[in-house]
Amino acid sequence: MSEPLLSVRNLKTVFKTEDGQFAAVDDVSFELNEGEVIGIVGESGSGKSVTALSIMGLVPNPPGRIAGGEIRFEGRNLLELPEREMRRLRGGRMAMIFQEPMTSLNPVFTVGDQLFEGIIEHEGVGKRAARDRAVELLDKVGIAAPAERLDQYPHQMSGGMRQRVMIAMALACNPKLLLADEPTTALDVTIQAQILDLLRELQEEFRMAVIMITHNLGVVAEFAHKVMVMYCGRAVETAPVGELFERPSHPYTQGLLRSIPHLDHEGARLRTIKGTVPSPFALPPGCRFAARCEHARPACAEAEPPMIGVVPDHEAACIRLTGYRHDLTRATEPVA
Amino acid sequence: MSAAAAPAAAATVKEPREILRVENLVKHFPITAGMFLSREVGSVRAVDGVSFELNEGETLGLVGESGSGKSTTGRLVLRLLEPTSGSVQFDGQDVLALEEAKLRALRGKMQIIFQDPYGALNPRKTVLETVAEPLLIHGRRWGPELHARVRELLELVGLASYHADRYPHEFSGGQRQRIGIARALALNPRFIVCDEPVSALDVSIQAQIVNLLQDLQEELGLTYLFIAHDLGVVKHISTRVAVMYLGRIVEIADKAELYARPLHPYTRALLSAIPVPRPGAGRERVILQGEVPSPINPPSGCHFHTRCPFAVAECRAVDPPLREVAPGHKAACHLVQPQTAQEGPRGP
Repeated sequence: MSEPLLSVRNLKTVFKTEDGQFAAVDDVSFELNEGEVIGIVGESGSGKSVTALSIMGLVPNPPGRIAGGEIRFEGRNLLELPEREMRRLRGGRMAMIFQEPMTSLNPVFTVGDQLFEGIIEHEGVGKRAARDRAVELLDKVGIAAPAERLDQYPHQMSGGMRQRVMIAMALACNPKLLLADEPTTALDVTIQAQILDLLRELQEEFRMAVIMITHNLGVVAEFAHKVMVMYCGRAVETAPVGELFERPSHPYTQGLLRSIPHLDHEGARLRTIKGTVPSPFALPPGCRFAARCEHARPACAEAEPPMIGVVPDHEAACIRLTGYRHDLTRATEPVA
Repeated sequence: MSAAAAPAAAATVKEPREILRVENLVKHFPITAGMFLSREVGSVRAVDGVSFELNEGETLGLVGESGSGKSTTGRLVLRLLEPTSGSVQFDGQDVLALEEAKLRALRGKMQIIFQDPYGALNPRKTVLETVAEPLLIHGRRWGPELHARVRELLELVGLASYHADRYPHEFSGGQRQRIGIARALALNPRFIVCDEPVSALDVSIQAQIVNLLQDLQEELGLTYLFIAHDLGVVKHISTRVAVMYLGRIVEIADKAELYARPLHPYTRALLSAIPVPRPGAGRERVILQGEVPSPINPPSGCHFHTRCPFAVAECRAVDPPLREVAPGHKAACHLVQPQTAQEGPRGP
């Protein structure tokens, strides 16, 4: 089998603050093939955005720093690339879109100027050719009257339109990998549906690999091929999307799925996950979820649980799968 | 707690008792220009003729996208904003006609919980000061009695009494929302406007707050106007649901009816746009074209006609009234067929 497009191994990204140092991403590994979509799910502070920033080489340093691991993209370890090379990759072979397009677009330049910049920089074409390409891109992302829109400023556009512009900028150089950090969270549902549809179309057309970061399990279910669930900086479960929803194996994933009020859900009370996420400076020993877990036993506090295979391609970091034994790495029988 | 006993008893009364009646509520924000911004050049029609009523112990979910006027409606009902026209009756009193002192007294009965638990609490005040403030303003409690009441309120919302001396920054988002709820409950209100109370919270915390609001409703006999854009949460907590679009209610019905049989094309599109956490859930999705038009110059006739796949000439010319098309089910659409003796109501 050929090498995956992206392979993240034991990634560790730390931040230094006044209160001390903590690992926002702690020993995270996953792989992504060409044309594949992975959804990274987690709540605030789970480390999902920092994972994406680490891949893009955009972790602000200081206070942040990649302290360990490896990120291989198209065969090269990004952590060893000089900044000049990284700059060529960013906006070229890999691109990122963010939650709030207003903060990612420069308010004092027209949309056109911002689009040309990337095209000229990466494709080495002149301004006229860049303009033609920009019109083509805006048309591609469903913006009506693209030629006129080029001369407008971001504030003259709605949120949905700005997100389309961001997507156009990201697509400018036909990236192989698109990182989308909560791209629809700030949008209304009817606009969210439009943007997700657009992303799906483009992903299929260009066979892009996509990392979709979101807290919305609905978005994951509709968009991703596989899922990684994060909690307190660690991956707690990875699985193909159908498998994850059918057979969630980590108690945190189970809790998340149960606590969403579904449209087709009936019932008087929502099931909740008790307590709150621990502070990154006061992480409990062993499993970080144990204090909130209904299945926790003393063994859970002994050591950080490793990823344990449930079925091929489906792993969860919970020793309940091994009958609360730390020395087994493969579940004998999946626990429902 | 004697104060809670009376409303709790009221909640068990079988005959539904109307507590709030809103009629033809309108709010236009003027757009001014010229020197000293003295010339009015137009207006934002944020709320454009909204009517509904609410029974005691009930929860009316008010949903819509940004700019639909749902939050403005909530503030108008409490008279935190002065309406341009219309009427609000709370418990038989005309809220809009009340003078200052009487309005203040009434405010004890009508409270609000805000979306952003970070922005809604004064960072320089302890929890005790924040929760005690309404009690002091209304001159209800002093000294040890005040402290006891604050402790009681904190426990009611799932916090501990030792939290009273802490500052907001020491709490998580979910805990802050609990503080906001404790403050809203301080004066024993009967009616609470919940303005996106869980939208800023993580899902696992959302569920805790939704459950808390439901428990409090049952225990204290509260009536809620629950404003949200998350149709899943609204479905869970509401008795009835109203859908707003560009300042108007386009459909209102019992929860089960609205979700099972949405009639207005906008309601249908809204429901179908929600991503479902079930992979491979094959659903027919109505993707709306375009975006919500500006409320400064809303489209003629039906405000939704510019995005409606079924719009006909009449929709562009005539504003459809919100009419009853089945018992308890109202829709503002020319193309909805009312219920007949033979069959139920039908959408376009």
